[in-house]
Amino acid sequence: MAGLATTFGSGAMTNTINELEEAQVILVSGSNTTRTHPQVARRIYDAVDRGARLIVIDPRRTRIAAHAHIHLQIHPGTDIALLNGMMRCILDENLIDDLFIQMRTENYPALRDLLLRVDLDEVERITGVDRKTISRAARTYARAQRSAICYCLGVTQHVCGTANVRSLANLAMLTGHVEREFTGVDPLRGQVNVQGACDMGALPGVLPGYQAVSDEAVRKKFARFWQREIPETPGRTVLDMTHEHSDPLAPHRDPLRALFITGENPMLSDPSLKGVRKTLSGLDLLVVSDIFLTETAALADVVLPAACFAEKDGTMTNSERRVQLVRKAVDPPGEARPDAWIIQELAGRLGYPMSYGSSAEIMEEIALLTPIYGGIFHDRLDTIEGLQWPCPDRSHPGTPFLHKYSFTRGSGRFEPVHHTPPAEPPDREYPFVLITGRAYHQYHTGTMSRRSPSLAREHQRPLLDIHPEDARRLGLGEGSRVRVRSRRGTVSFFLHLNDRLMPGEVSCDFHFHEAPANELTLAASDPEARCPEFKCCAVTVEAEHA
Amino acid sequence: MHDALILHRDHFLPLLRRLSRDHRLVGPVRNRQGDTLYTEITDLDRVEIDLEKQPLNSLKSFFFPQREVLASTLVDRSPGTGELMISFHPECPPEIPTLYFGVRSCDLFAVLYMDAIFLGGRFRDPYYEQRRRRALFLTLGCTRPFAHCFCNATDNGPFLEFGFDLQLTALDGDEIFFVETGKAGGRKLVRDLAPYFSPADDDHRNRQFQAALEARGLFRQMVPVQLACSLLRDQPEPTRLLAELSRRCQDCGGCAYICPTCTCFTIEDRKLDEESGERIRTWDACTFAGFTRMAGEHNPVSSERQRIRRRFLHKLKTDVARHGRPSCVGCGRCVDTCFGGVDIITFINSLTEAADPDHQP
Repeated sequence: MAGLATTFGSGAMTNTINELEEAQVILVSGSNTTRTHPQVARRIYDAVDRGARLIVIDPRRTRIAAHAHIHLQIHPGTDIALLNGMMRCILDENLIDDLFIQMRTENYPALRDLLLRVDLDEVERITGVDRKTISRAARTYARAQRSAICYCLGVTQHVCGTANVRSLANLAMLTGHVEREFTGVDPLRGQVNVQGACDMGALPGVLPGYQAVSDEAVRKKFARFWQREIPETPGRTVLDMTHEHSDPLAPHRDPLRALFITGENPMLSDPSLKGVRKTLSGLDLLVVSDIFLTETAALADVVLPAACFAEKDGTMTNSERRVQLVRKAVDPPGEARPDAWIIQELAGRLGYPMSYGSSAEIMEEIALLTPIYGGIFHDRLDTIEGLQWPCPDRSHPGTPFLHKYSFTRGSGRFEPVHHTPPAEPPDREYPFVLITGRAYHQYHTGTMSRRSPSLAREHQRPLLDIHPEDARRLGLGEGSRVRVRSRRGTVSFFLHLNDRLMPGEVSCDFHFHEAPANELTLAASDPEARCPEFKCCAVTVEAEHA
Repeated sequence: MHDALILHRDHFLPLLRRLSRDHRLVGPVRNRQGDTLYTEITDLDRVEIDLEKQPLNSLKSFFFPQREVLASTLVDRSPGTGELMISFHPECPPEIPTLYFGVRSCDLFAVLYMDAIFLGGRFRDPYYEQRRRRALFLTLGCTRPFAHCFCNATDNGPFLEFGFDLQLTALDGDEIFFVETGKAGGRKLVRDLAPYFSPADDDHRNRQFQAALEARGLFRQMVPVQLACSLLRDQPEPTRLLAELSRRCQDCGGCAYICPTCTCFTIEDRKLDEESGERIRTWDACTFAGFTRMAGEHNPVSSERQRIRRRFLHKLKTDVARHGRPSCVGCGRCVDTCFGGVDIITFINSLTEAADPDHQP
């Protein structure tokens, strides 16, 4: 979010998913697209069928990497070094888009200065990718007329996540591969409607539509409508809240005493679970609203049963900024209630009565106060397609690709960045790098997906993927029970030999409560977005003896 | 030749209404989002019946639901010894007389195939049989085949010669339906409700024949199904092609779920509370790794290279040997559904391309 917001002025997919089919070059970075966004992967396959070149940056040879013309199999956490190397090659071969840089961007000299100091031998050493391959990828990306970048959590879930994104934005601007159809920088969001949640201000520093709380005019506008003062200081990020006890800044702030968690299961999904447990159990009051009794809800003082997506009306906004209507198909069971109902009841009891007649009415208020959603109303959404924001008024057809004529922030800003090594590199004691991610047949903390017998049959055991060579060295075979230990905790897995990883790397998913991967991960995070480094921490692997 | 009658379009809805007195109605209905689906109709006046578009679903789930309870289970004490035991109480669906109307040839043909699977062997599936027993089929000949249809190549459309109770063909700009009577249920229907129908003359017959003839020329897909079947029968298995396509399969199972003739299922016991549970049958798909995985994680099928092998070979080789014809009915739904680009048309075309260089898919 923060990375694209400072460079382009808007932190969302610049294009529409369908546009990928027409791209000539697609650069996929840190995305196991086939597994996590199969509908995006489909467009990439189609583009490749039509002759597009596919470049994949990933430490693992994922399914999409196996389809790539160029796979840049970097060491985890070395994206910036690689991208700086690619940009250096582009500069050396004079493949930059001078006119675009001049017309639409600022701060180019700073990037050029940095690139001129890049040593390609060092890049090769840091990333583990030979310079020939790097320059081939650079040339392929830069030379095409329509190149698109797709990235996902493999880019953002690092201590340098924001800088990683800036690097990708720099690459796109350097070659003029943005501000047009079929060409841009496209973050694939990690969950359904996470884009919508961000759009609605579920971020610490902004009100709906990315209107900053630091802006007095914005605060006044909302205060007048809501009849309440709007605090001018940003709130706290999730990580600041769930890791309050390990946060060095915590002693200087009011301690967190009560927490209302809705539709989130930090007791599995947040890093370094020991810290989360400590924070949550130290609260005066924990209220959790969810559709099932999650690991987090089990710790709560009050649990509010919520309705699931099929049991309520509303909208969801997907990665490509498309707002779509969701209609109630069945009644919620028992005492479960829609989230909006729960929030209104809570607000009323806390002294701020709310009485919306329908979710359509809530949407009308969103339109009134949120310029990018200004023309989005339920009656207009009654189609398969929905509407893509920005959509400022009723007559506006929506916006398939962003930044036409100029970047949202005016000029695109080059933000040169240096390689930042991972927070916890492997060492003698903890010789493996653990990469956490998602599996195809389970979803997030398994709250929903683990209840499906069909999905359980496909994937019901927590697996640790390891390179066959490493397994042989450790004397371990397929399916053996192993204990993975980091400086923070120990978790047991079943071993799965997988030569798609590099030796020295292991990977697992975080779907299983019986093997909570986040007991191992570390709470180190990106200084701006506060997104944790889920993608690498140092661990050791040993046989488990019953 | 079948007895032929004429049903005026004005009397189509009244006929359905009359039949709804003693039949449950299932037919193609357009929903609010503009999608057409075979749907159970409870109020004829509140639905939009759509005889134009191909329904997105087939009739499979009406006879073989995606999920059904086979039995409820109870923790009991054995009457003799007093030991704890689990007792099974089968839950058989009721037998409901149902009229399926607006059914496309491919979809009825698929039901006939399911009959062979569920009723044709040594064991008859009682759940399927209950739903199937009192079903009447009022089919609709396809005068305008859809984008991915190739039932002409699988030899079960766009018109049927048998299997239906009544087969309708829209004539004169859809003003009238030419009605052929097939099975006993259809003959009884037109006898009991004779006033709705008038006799067809030779001119009607001729125009119906012309409509069927023209329909055959309107297919946009030329899929050499027969050639593919004989290649699979006579030649070594196309392992490279299967591996190439398997690599692109995205493992969603959509092809098997949407397929009107995919009948694989799995059975699951589910605990409801401490005393009771359910035995459930759900659809399954041979493309899933868990379909063949054995104890100790051994899997005789490589999900990387053979994931889709069983699906295509079952439809185009095994069933040809077993039933004398492929079990693909050419409805084209898997082509619409597959987002990996590994649908059956792609497979057949790629397979036959080498053998038949003149063929232009």
